[in-house]
Amino acid sequence: MESKYNNKIIKWSKVATIFFILLVVFADAVGWTSARYICNVWARRDDQLAYTIFTIVYYAVTVLAYVVLISVYKLLANMSKDVVFDTKNTKLMSYIVFSLIGAGVAFAVLGLVWGESAFLALVAWFMALIVLSVKVVFDKAIVMKNDLDLTI
Amino acid sequence: MAIIVNLDVMMAKRKISSGDLAEKVGITPANLSILKNQKAKAVRFSTLNDICKALDCQPGDILEYQED
Repeated sequence: MESKYNNKIIKWSKVATIFFILLVVFADAVGWTSARYICNVWARRDDQLAYTIFTIVYYAVTVLAYVVLISVYKLLANMSKDVVFDTKNTKLMSYIVFSLIGAGVAFAVLGLVWGESAFLALVAWFMALIVLSVKVVFDKAIVMKNDLDLTI
Repeated sequence: MAIIVNLDVMMAKRKISSGDLAEKVGITPANLSILKNQKAKAVRFSTLNDICKALDCQPGDILEYQED
């Protein structure tokens, strides 16, 4: 019963991840226009420097979003195969943490032309902190599992 | 590891195979192999009790402390 429930959660999480990957693909496809829209309407900037920084940060963040989403998808795939406390998963979590830190740095750079993006940087770093905490728990659990596996 | 498992010596003395001992103790041959090859991190008292019973020996006959 519990396993069935967990499998359902994993299945729907995978579907949601694919949906988000498609959203990022769409964001990439219309990146040129949406970067200019955000720059003009949200940030109320009309100069070339702001537009260039917005475009670079926009595409850098979408690349990092791919890394995060693909890592999450692989993580969920491992969970569905009952590979939970494994170094493969902690490695994927490291990728997510580094990507979120990178996204935070990109948003902080964007803060030079649009101050409000500093909030996005804080959100990204906070998410990185949460994933890092989960990774530490997984690292401890892997050591405990290895000890238990070698207890006769 | 400073604790040495002399299980193979005791098994040779009692002329018992790994498969037979694993069956008598109630552990898998793979786990018995981990124990024999000094790979185990811990041994449960219950397992030690069963091994001593199967080999008719004392824990000291199987486990030995050696300084590094």
